[in-house]
Amino acid sequence: MGGFLSWAAQSGVVQGVIIGATLAFLSAILIMNSVARSATITVNGWSSIRACGQPENGVLLRAACAKALPAVNVFEEAAYWTAAKDGSGQKLNGTNHYVLNFPPGHFPPNNAFWSLTVTDVVGYMVNSPINRNSFDDRSDLAKNPDGSVDIYLQHTAPAGHEQNWLPTPSGSFKLMLRAYLPGAAVLDGTYRVPPVVRAS
Amino acid sequence: MNRLILKYAYPLTAVILAVFGWVVYQRISRGSDMAPLAVAAIIVWVIGVPTFIYLWPRLTVNGFKRAILRHGLGGGPIPVNTLYAAPNTSSPSAPPGSLLATGTDDLLYIAGWLDLREGPQVLHVPEMGKRYFSVQFTDPSDSANFAYVGTRATGTKAGDYVLGGPGRKGEMPAGMALIPSPSDSALVIGRVFVEDENDLPAAYRLAQQIQLTPLASRVP
Repeated sequence: MGGFLSWAAQSGVVQGVIIGATLAFLSAILIMNSVARSATITVNGWSSIRACGQPENGVLLRAACAKALPAVNVFEEAAYWTAAKDGSGQKLNGTNHYVLNFPPGHFPPNNAFWSLTVTDVVGYMVNSPINRNSFDDRSDLAKNPDGSVDIYLQHTAPAGHEQNWLPTPSGSFKLMLRAYLPGAAVLDGTYRVPPVVRAS
Repeated sequence: MNRLILKYAYPLTAVILAVFGWVVYQRISRGSDMAPLAVAAIIVWVIGVPTFIYLWPRLTVNGFKRAILRHGLGGGPIPVNTLYAAPNTSSPSAPPGSLLATGTDDLLYIAGWLDLREGPQVLHVPEMGKRYFSVQFTDPSDSANFAYVGTRATGTKAGDYVLGGPGRKGEMPAGMALIPSPSDSALVIGRVFVEDENDLPAAYRLAQQIQLTPLASRVP
């Protein structure tokens, strides 16, 4: 026994086990991330995974979902879209000014509510200078003459558009759009969230 | 803690890999036999990858379990088979790592951990009128949402639902539907819609009425 222990200590088996276990952990993360990516549908910079939380999911998809969206609602209960990039594929950053234009009647169709929340890159809500972290279907948003709605996403107040201003952090950020009890157009994939456009 | 790990995942990984590289380099430069290390590493890696993937949903749900039973949603630890409704919606001041920190301010969140080893539990939901709500039951073994009670799944009328563990059969009390749970425990997450700040007290009163009681206490 003592001989075995000293062999185990000297031979490198212990280091091998530690290295193998750590690399297994990292490999598992890489695999789950890539499965999650392949299950992700991205349109106009908005990403969503529709398959999560369903009892019939296989081992890989379950793991990928648990990693990407732990304990998330099934899609028919709530649709979630996240955007870490603008419509042209550039990372969202509070040093830029963005506009999100919803054409008339183009807020996410739903039978409960929709909401748009600004978060940090991990997904936590951030402090807002005007105590506004989100817009939702009850928000009093100013309409453009054509009936569409511009949401201004920037760190400092947009002069003349404070009513539609959703303050962002000064650095990198993400957006989370939710539609609870999503409508048929969301469920069948025909509804597309408009892109976040960087203002020049 | 989680937040720091998430934020610095890449540098942390780089440091760990650098340490491994250094260990391996040291052994090679001393002329040691590398076979035991390599064989052990490969065997553990081959077994470890599928194991981690298989266990990941369970690890995640157990993270929620720990968070609920040890920390709660701001009102202290939540005992098993108790549903706790947070009195306020999500905000930036919510403790990091809690359900609330990544939530939305349109909802009051309810959390609890179901333990059915001592027998079935009855979920009571009050009359919700037109208000959206849902109670999600997540199986810790695979992270699947095996059942919902709420506007979409069961409607907004008041009701009682019996949650029974694996193999639970038998007569249900009149007017109660059985929701079979694939495991003898489950994560419970409730959501109750809040129209605006003025609606918060009404929403909170309803959220508090979503509760669990042992079936045994209902059956004489």
